[in-house]
Amino acid sequence: MRNSLVIILIIALLICALSILTIFSCTNQRESKAWQTIYQRQMLWVILGVALFLIIANINYRRFWDWTYLLYVLALFFLLLVLFLGSVRLGAQRWLRFGWFNFQPSELAKIVMTIFLARYFSRKSAEDVSLLSGKFGIFRGLMLPLFFIAIPMGMIIEQPDLGTGTLIFLLFISMLYLTNVKLRYIFVMIVLAVLPLPFVWHLLKDYQKDRLMVFLNPNIDPLGAGYTVIQSKIAIGSGGLFGRGWLSGTQSQLRFLPEAHTDFIFAGFSEEWGLLGGIGLLFLYYLLIRQGFLIAQRTQDHFGKLMAFGISLMLSIQVIINVAMNMGLAPIVGVPLPLMSYGGSSVFVTFIALGILVNIDKTRDVF
Amino acid sequence: MRVKIIIGLVTLMFLFLIFGLFNLEIIHGRDYRELGDKNCVRLLAQKGSRGKIIDCNGLVIADNKLSYDLMILPQDPGSQDKILAKTSRVLGKSTRDLALEFKRGYISKSMPVVIARNLELKEAIALDEARIDFPAIIIQPNPVRSYPNSKLACHLLGYLGEIDRWRLTKLEDYGYKTKDVVGFGGLEEKYDYYLREEEGGMSFQVDHRGRFNRNLGFRPPVNGKDIQLTIDIRVQKIAENALSDRRGAVVIMNPFTGEVIALASSPRFSPSDFLSQDNAAVARLFSDPDAPLINRAIGGAYPAGSIFKVVVATAALENKKINQNTSFLCQGGVRLGKQEFKCWSVHGSQNLVAALTHSCNVFFYKTGLLVGAQALHDYALKLGFSRTTSFDLPYEKAGFVPSPLWRKINKFQNWFDGDTANLSIGQGDVLVTPLQVARMMAVFANGGYLVTPYITKVIDGKYVVKHRRKPEKLNLKPNTLNLVREGLRGVVNSPSGTANILSTLGITVAGKTGTAQAPPHQSHAWFGGFFPYNNPKFAICVFLEYGGPGYNSCVLAKQIIGEMIVQGLI
Repeated sequence: MRNSLVIILIIALLICALSILTIFSCTNQRESKAWQTIYQRQMLWVILGVALFLIIANINYRRFWDWTYLLYVLALFFLLLVLFLGSVRLGAQRWLRFGWFNFQPSELAKIVMTIFLARYFSRKSAEDVSLLSGKFGIFRGLMLPLFFIAIPMGMIIEQPDLGTGTLIFLLFISMLYLTNVKLRYIFVMIVLAVLPLPFVWHLLKDYQKDRLMVFLNPNIDPLGAGYTVIQSKIAIGSGGLFGRGWLSGTQSQLRFLPEAHTDFIFAGFSEEWGLLGGIGLLFLYYLLIRQGFLIAQRTQDHFGKLMAFGISLMLSIQVIINVAMNMGLAPIVGVPLPLMSYGGSSVFVTFIALGILVNIDKTRDVF
Repeated sequence: MRVKIIIGLVTLMFLFLIFGLFNLEIIHGRDYRELGDKNCVRLLAQKGSRGKIIDCNGLVIADNKLSYDLMILPQDPGSQDKILAKTSRVLGKSTRDLALEFKRGYISKSMPVVIARNLELKEAIALDEARIDFPAIIIQPNPVRSYPNSKLACHLLGYLGEIDRWRLTKLEDYGYKTKDVVGFGGLEEKYDYYLREEEGGMSFQVDHRGRFNRNLGFRPPVNGKDIQLTIDIRVQKIAENALSDRRGAVVIMNPFTGEVIALASSPRFSPSDFLSQDNAAVARLFSDPDAPLINRAIGGAYPAGSIFKVVVATAALENKKINQNTSFLCQGGVRLGKQEFKCWSVHGSQNLVAALTHSCNVFFYKTGLLVGAQALHDYALKLGFSRTTSFDLPYEKAGFVPSPLWRKINKFQNWFDGDTANLSIGQGDVLVTPLQVARMMAVFANGGYLVTPYITKVIDGKYVVKHRRKPEKLNLKPNTLNLVREGLRGVVNSPSGTANILSTLGITVAGKTGTAQAPPHQSHAWFGGFFPYNNPKFAICVFLEYGGPGYNSCVLAKQIIGEMIVQGLI
């Protein structure tokens, strides 16, 4: 079906266009040339991303069934690599340098885990449409996948990147839910996750504790950990209905808002485009995600269906967490806004995910 | 089923996000926009210079010079400490003091805080260079009052200080604000509204590190208006030098117009002490038993002593109780009831002119009793006592002249002849200021007009003289004026006159001495008069607080007039 490809591509490119405009606006006041031309790099990522998207869209998604374990091992390998060789930025070791490109393996891990979970809960045969997991016991339905997920998750949290770790965990729970795993298993799972929280508290890094405390009350440390939340809320709030106008946002232009081109790009965008712009952007995301769910619903193949759900959920969770944290409604974690935040890895992975979606829609008729 | 729940959840979350956006941008939008502006807008005030005060020849009495203030833009605590550490190294003050000063002066995030004033030029340059690393440091040049003649005319000028609560409540409606610098005492207070500058300033945008980004607006400051005085700074200097920190006052004025040419009070203070915020020096001024802050020429009321005999003579002549031939016999005293009222010498037979010349008490006891206390009181008022002269400096005393009626009403006591006798020689409850004495002397110098003394000639280029009260004709008889004048001339001219010492000046002086008893201290020394006798140009009053006999004031007057002759100022 050509139709979904066009729709998804148009929506994605619209979001990317807004992204480039906002990145330009946030950085054009900086002194150095490298900062001022950062939007051009984002353009390059988008072009490469679209190319990837088109390529993936033409690769039969069933191939991923075969490649799952390879991909899983590859992701683990990169995560391991980043633990030892990763470059440290902003106090976290999340990136691998490949020449001039900083690669973020945890981004890759997101999509790989989605594929992995989809594969795990489905059968090879496309004819048997009944779900496997309904028959799984607690071990096969819960413990084993948890084990597989926990390894990369632990490595990602160790980087530290609590955001992506949480994202994968949420993805896991919602996939479990979708695959008809018995509800009581999921409850067990959640209880298992919640019970050790008081102990986990001691394992958290100081900055993570600060962020959680600050999420509860940003004013306890307005110039330290709470600074970002406060500035981000100010940026969004000062947008008003119509916004201050492109290139006129004082919070992002004068750099009161940190990370205005990456994690807090939504705040920078809202300051300049206002409520209308913000709603428009959320609407675009909603359309994109809705496409994903529609594809999942009309796909008969179990593996494809689960994968489409996984990808849609992955996007939804990222958008929701990121926007909520921009508005001070969620603790600050390092989750980028897909297609908006500056960064090659995120753009690539999102386009790959969208490419898979399109291919699922295209290939499903074959079965 | 589960699929629908998941999709529903996601949709719900999106609606929730939109609601969150609406809440932030519409419901609280205005607050956040304000906060956003506060983040990046800074206000920097710029002061104009206060009006200058110049003397009648255009010589400057109170000027302005540039001083440099150190201000810092409020920062996050970390970089703030670094800035304070840097400045404390340059200024040699402790970081704690500077931090305290910062806390004291903090108004809001958008306003720079002054943490040190009146920097040395060297310090200012050093700190200005530090701005490369610390853009939050601002060196602000401000015009501040300077006194090129240091203590000269300090009582005329008054001093400057931060506005107090009392003045603020009074002046709020005229645009005064907390922390404004206003005048205290003297011209600085009286004409503060004209002298004060209007603050201008600029608002500009800064980035997250407080670095200048762009200008938003500018309003130029407006300088205060200059004031020209009738004071001749050279005469003022002579008078102040003659006083040389003895407690006392000198008033020299034009007897026809009331222009005050010199108005000195002593001891003096240094108005710049109040600017440098040298608290110890200021505290010393306030606690000094000599009360240097009081302007004795207008703000001190003292017993008049024999100077008051001029009033008695005028009252008696006007009421026809005596004429030029009336004479009384002075045998060293007179007995009234049970009390003996003494004269300071035995003068024998005295007529009015001789009695003034010798300052004979007996003559005036008897004359005063003839005239009566109420008439004496009335003539004293007519000659300008017991009420302010409407002079243009604040805190002028009215002085006091008692009367039988006043005593009855306020003290429930009767008035006796002894009281009249006391009043006749200016003792008892009589209190006058040196300015009032000079003004009375002017009446006999200018032919019977009571002038209104004044000190400001031009404000902001406009002559203000025409708005003043015209000299008031007292309708004294020519005969009265002539006789009193003759008597005053005799005081100096006659070899036995009490101010004979002034006869050798080479200029004809007329006047009257006074020795006012002030037990248990030494008496106050007075001399009031005018010169030259035939064509008066100056009325003068010299007063020494607890300065001994009136003779001492004559010595001072001689010194002053002699110096004026030497400098060719007459």
